[in-house]
Amino acid sequence: MKKRVSRVWEWGIERLIQIAGILGIILVILIFFFLLRNSLPILRDFALADLLAGREWRPVREPPRFGMLPLILGSLYVTAGALVISIPLGVATAIFIAEIAPPRAREILKPAVELIAAVPSVVLGFIGLMVVGPWFARSFDDIPVGSFAALGSIMLAFMALPTIVSICEDALYSVPRALVNSSLALGATRWQTITRALLPAARSGLIAACLLGLGRAIGETMTVLMVTGNAAVIPRGLMGFLRPVRTLTATIAAEMGEAAQRSEHFFALFTIGLLLFVITFAVNTIADLIIRRSEKDIA
Amino acid sequence: MATDRIILAALALTLIATVVALAGCPQPPVEEPPVIDMPREPTGERPAGGGEGETIKVIGSTTVLPIATAWAKAYAEVAPDVSVNVAGGGSGSGIEALINGTADIGDASRAIKDSEMERARAAGVEPVEHVIAYDGIAAVVHPSNPASQLTLQQLSDIYSGQVTQWSEVGVDGVGEITVVGRDASSGTYGSWEELVVQAEDDTREYTVAMLQMQSNETVRSTVASTPGAIGYIGLGYLDDTVRTVPVVPLDGGDAVAPTEATVADGSYPISRELYMYTRGRPTGIIRAFLDWGMSEAGQKLVAEEGFVPVD
Repeated sequence: MKKRVSRVWEWGIERLIQIAGILGIILVILIFFFLLRNSLPILRDFALADLLAGREWRPVREPPRFGMLPLILGSLYVTAGALVISIPLGVATAIFIAEIAPPRAREILKPAVELIAAVPSVVLGFIGLMVVGPWFARSFDDIPVGSFAALGSIMLAFMALPTIVSICEDALYSVPRALVNSSLALGATRWQTITRALLPAARSGLIAACLLGLGRAIGETMTVLMVTGNAAVIPRGLMGFLRPVRTLTATIAAEMGEAAQRSEHFFALFTIGLLLFVITFAVNTIADLIIRRSEKDIA
Repeated sequence: MATDRIILAALALTLIATVVALAGCPQPPVEEPPVIDMPREPTGERPAGGGEGETIKVIGSTTVLPIATAWAKAYAEVAPDVSVNVAGGGSGSGIEALINGTADIGDASRAIKDSEMERARAAGVEPVEHVIAYDGIAAVVHPSNPASQLTLQQLSDIYSGQVTQWSEVGVDGVGEITVVGRDASSGTYGSWEELVVQAEDDTREYTVAMLQMQSNETVRSTVASTPGAIGYIGLGYLDDTVRTVPVVPLDGGDAVAPTEATVADGSYPISRELYMYTRGRPTGIIRAFLDWGMSEAGQKLVAEEGFVPVD
């Protein structure tokens, strides 16, 4: 009798988890169609090429121009900068935590890195806007104003770190210990073991971690809205990093309040949302595929 | 087996959702606002506020926000049984909230647009305008900037991107101009565009290089930390972290600094009216609140917040 109750109970729990999982999938699909539906009026009236390659974003002018190129490039600059900073730092931190740090240091480091994820983005934005940005502007002649693309990158790198570190760590742990031990046994130094045995074996997992970090960075809104200056200029060359830019996400956040419901501007902002959705979806899917491959590799 | 059935059901659900979503496509979809919608009568002119519980909701312009907040605070002592909830969000949000019924009073630092009026009427709402204060928008620069004055034309050139170096407007030793302004959801953005950027030429528009900040405070702090910057903020936000530049009006004459006196007598060229909008003629507690705001006590608070009282 008791056994039966527990079996029914177990069956119930299983179904519940299953439903929760399926619900997640349905929600994503619904969000996609919601975005698509609200983007259609714009996609119908403007050529896709004009939207994606248009050089001017002037949504409240008559006639409005919805050129998203400056916004796309703005997001690209800020995200690329963030990855350049966070990937080496994140991978190195993960290696240190997983391989080198003594157990006690690991016990402190791991939660500390994870704690970064708990800092609200608006707080980071405020620090960037009030402290870090003005300091850069004072200290470097090439930076005219304390709101610029690279500042967004620095702040985003900080936010993407926990994602990158955690997943890199998992990837390193999933490398069979026998591989590491045999490398050491063959007389390789610790450095040689890490660079020639451990990292190649965990390669796919590391790439996936970086892609998920990318997904995290490109979708972040509040911080970039506050620290990148929001000037919808097309960034040029390396100097573009030291000038204000405007990202896709910041545009939605800054303008949704003013856009009259069901106006062209309103739909155009949804089109940006759709674009972001497609980008993040693609990045996450690729990351997922790579993770699966890495699991297969190891198995 | 059970698993298969559940997956099948999920697929079916998704399919239905898809069909529903696509079916709505030909017409512009009607999205309910993401805020809690208060019940409203289709004819508008509902007895605003009366009998709804004694709460007045005020939403809108961040420029009007200090006045609305000061009024709400002081009014709590005048009428303890009425609570006034104040929120910012921008002039556009305020009027939007008025139309969809989330707000009893919509604050705006610009007059309602024709397009907003049309949508309000389509929703059965007749917005009524109340001028509650005057405001001047000041051009501000870094304290170290030596500019003694700028003409309205020069400001227009700067903000439309015709001019990018301080030397081109006769100010030496500062270098490149960093143009700072507000984002498009701000009434100040619209007022500055109309009064300055398009002062002479309606076809001019803001330079894309303008930094768009979310509030008067962030404009001020950015200008205060940037030697080459110029920005604009409401009179009530001036302090000594930035320097105010007197402006020469279009028709020439002396440069005028923005003060309560020059805004009140109209000699400062960049000034505007601040508004509160109600649904129909206000009645009940909303009317009492606005009447009190326009009284001597309310207008004294307007002056204390750094704006210019009406009359």
